[in-house]
Amino acid sequence: MGNNLVQNIIIAVIWIVAAPILGGILSGIDRKITARMQNRFGPPIMQPFYDFFKLLGKERITVNQTQMVYVMGHLFFAIASLVMLVLKQDLLMLMFILAFSTVSLIMGAMSVRSPYSKIGAQREIIQMMAYEPVLILMVVGVYLTTKSFMISSVFSESTGPLLYNLPLVFFAFLYVLTIKLRKSPFDFSTSHHGHQELIKGLTTEFSGPQLALIELTHWYDLIILLGLITLFFAKPIWVGIIIALVSYFLELVIDNISARVTWRWMIKATWLIGIGAAMINIVWLYLKMKV
Amino acid sequence: MNEYLLLTVAILLPAFSALLCYALRNKAVRSFIVVLTSLAMFGVAGGFVNLLLASGGTLKIGVDAHIIGWVIKVLDLLLMGYILYIGFTLRKYLVVVLTFLQLIPLILFEGGLLFGTPHESEIAFVIDYLSLIMILLVSIIGPIITIFATGYMEEHEHHLGLKKSKQPRFFMILFIFLAAMNALVMTDNISWMYFFWEVTTLCSFLLISHDGNSESVKNALRALWINLSGGVAFISAIIAIYSVYGSLSITEIIEKTKTGGFVGIIPLAIGLLCFAGFTKSAQFPFQSWLLGAMVAPTPVSALLHSSTMVKAGVYLVVRFAPAYANTMLANIVAVVGAFTFLAGSAIAISQSNGKRVLAYSTIANLGLIICCAGIGSKVAIGAAILLMIFHAVSKGLLFLCVGTIEQEIGSRDIEDMQGLAKRMPFTTFVIVVGMISMLLPPFGVLITKWLAIEASVNSPLVLLCIVLGSAFTVVFWSKWIGIILTMSYKNSYKAEKLDFSVRSALSLLLVGALAASVLIMPLYNIFIAPHINSLNLADKAAGLAGSNGGVWLQGVGNITTGGFAAIPVFLLLFALMLLIPYFMRKTKAERIKPPYLCGENVDNDVRGLQFISPADKVDVVVVRNYYLTGMFGEGNLTLWCNALAGAIILVMFGVVI
Repeated sequence: MGNNLVQNIIIAVIWIVAAPILGGILSGIDRKITARMQNRFGPPIMQPFYDFFKLLGKERITVNQTQMVYVMGHLFFAIASLVMLVLKQDLLMLMFILAFSTVSLIMGAMSVRSPYSKIGAQREIIQMMAYEPVLILMVVGVYLTTKSFMISSVFSESTGPLLYNLPLVFFAFLYVLTIKLRKSPFDFSTSHHGHQELIKGLTTEFSGPQLALIELTHWYDLIILLGLITLFFAKPIWVGIIIALVSYFLELVIDNISARVTWRWMIKATWLIGIGAAMINIVWLYLKMKV
Repeated sequence: MNEYLLLTVAILLPAFSALLCYALRNKAVRSFIVVLTSLAMFGVAGGFVNLLLASGGTLKIGVDAHIIGWVIKVLDLLLMGYILYIGFTLRKYLVVVLTFLQLIPLILFEGGLLFGTPHESEIAFVIDYLSLIMILLVSIIGPIITIFATGYMEEHEHHLGLKKSKQPRFFMILFIFLAAMNALVMTDNISWMYFFWEVTTLCSFLLISHDGNSESVKNALRALWINLSGGVAFISAIIAIYSVYGSLSITEIIEKTKTGGFVGIIPLAIGLLCFAGFTKSAQFPFQSWLLGAMVAPTPVSALLHSSTMVKAGVYLVVRFAPAYANTMLANIVAVVGAFTFLAGSAIAISQSNGKRVLAYSTIANLGLIICCAGIGSKVAIGAAILLMIFHAVSKGLLFLCVGTIEQEIGSRDIEDMQGLAKRMPFTTFVIVVGMISMLLPPFGVLITKWLAIEASVNSPLVLLCIVLGSAFTVVFWSKWIGIILTMSYKNSYKAEKLDFSVRSALSLLLVGALAASVLIMPLYNIFIAPHINSLNLADKAAGLAGSNGGVWLQGVGNITTGGFAAIPVFLLLFALMLLIPYFMRKTKAERIKPPYLCGENVDNDVRGLQFISPADKVDVVVVRNYYLTGMFGEGNLTLWCNALAGAIILVMFGVVI
């Protein structure tokens, strides 16, 4: 047990350090590719890191005493779910903890009396309401295939690639990934562009180091989500990683070719397509199990 | 002898205090009685824990069933008579009809006209871990709410401007209520249980109508007739069961149904008992009585929602869970609960009245408990009992908070609670912790939700309801927490003035809510695991185990299939969340800026109330939550949900007939 604990701590620490570096690089590549798709040259790949350190060095400005608390919650709970992922813990609890990371950011955005930030927060809540069921159904799909909620079971000898049993769940997961990454057409809780109706939505009232930490959390999120995609093809793991990267590229393409939709449309579409697809998959697995 | 003493004190002491409260109409004396009774009840709860742990799981207490049986028969008749009187004087003939529907079978049955004089076992009280948990909830949370009420009712009557205080009556009913609840969960005689069941129905009528205005009387009558219809189902079930088994002992009934007795009229009888549980626990389509109960003074709502009344319903359903486990009835009970969880959570999103949000959340959580009882695996029953505990503590706390806030700001609307931290920092802290304990990891309610999902993977319909429902719960809680925590910069906070009784009740329940979550592992291992093992469920999996700082699910052959470790680590994270920003501020203060509105803020006010819009017009900023009434509005959903829930219940009866 003692050895195991030390080993676990080492794995966790390595990932806590490595994840934001990988995530930062990926988001640099994201900006580069996006720029090329829009016929721009784009910033250097390391630009996200430059931005991060610049924000970190800025003067600390706040609207009330509590904003930083929520930013911390946002970051810590993302790290906690990353640790649960790399230590191959319970997948469902991981989803709950990841959800709390978002809830914490929403609380932070709601804690100030700014209409932009408030509306951004409300929209983020609606987004959560749309994608959260799909994420949980994904977990159930994994359970029905592996008979366990532990991520470690995905890697066990007897399990084949999840993708074979869960094609529609995988599709649904990719669908909600767009929402979770706040990419177009589902980026209505935030907006990357200066002059649009929400200014920066959720993050309107965060500045300097607060914003830097939110960006950091975003990198963690990115790695967690790509890690979850990898689970669908965990053996050999490099195939899973390639699938994850291809999916990410697909997200970028979708981001660039689509315009933002309204929240009503999003809820209806996500419930119908996302939950629908995942449920169909789960029902057939269930029926197969019964036979 | 010790257990006789405890039993007597647990039931008769509150009843005696009730009489004292009514007879001695002095405020100081009443507060003294309340505090003394509360302490005694805490002691009784502790005493039962000791006794039960020493006895190894069941306490059987024999009494002279003949004499007590006759006392209860007489009281039964008096009770029915009183309800008839209510029905006639308030001209609610539905109540009269429903009472006769109980009175006639009751007289025929108890009078021995049906099967001869019913045989009543000498072992009239059997206390196992499930009863013990209910005793703890009733005898700890109940008195705390009563203590709260001493301060609250004073203020309440001051607001109403009553000439003659109605408090003696109020406290009398509260204590009778607690006595009846304690008796209900301890007795093993199902016809006695029925009597105490009806006592709680009457008490809730009296408490809901306490203020005496037309709205409260109307809502109380609704509560009365809905619960009476459950009572009709209850007495019919008793007669049906007795006609087959010739026994009134709950232990014996469950044992017989488990060993091949679930045939003939018995499935229908158990279905009727579940139906009675649904009405009492305000499952859809019976939810309206609990929503209407909001008109009563806050301690009443807190009591109805946390440890008494609605918990009696789920107690019955969970108590009989082993009797109907793995039957079609169980599947449908699970669907009824899951559907209520979904519908309640969805409608809660559209509510801006704080008490209604809490009420819908209660309905939803009770649904989840019933759903788990229906699923009936070891994990599910464990989740059901855990949720009964966590929900009772947290919901009691939240109701008391909303009541306290309402007395201060004069509104129970969520939107009016914006910036509450400035006016009531103490209450804000307590209510936010209470809500967090309903929503976030690593607190108990979330753990049970997680267990419920993991337990329901094998029934897709139930699963879908729980999954959607838990997404909705996140929506309404986070909206509410967000609005309460909306604040601008303020230099220092000073706790508000509250009556000592109110402050101590809130603090006690706050500690209780935190302790229940932190101690989930020992709580499970000591009280719940032995109970589940004693049920001898057909489920082959090893069930739940608490170890390594968390809870683990174990499948067939003790293989770990899920788990959540390191609950303390998450508590540490919460501490860090608060401490790091605090010390950052200590080392170097931040610059304070007003929020960005839609233009320049008037006077650069850090609160951000007004801004200068085009043409130098001053605009006031109003920020509100979304309530999505187009999608989740009460008006849109209630009718359809009721129709659907009614249909499910009809299917349930169709299956068992």
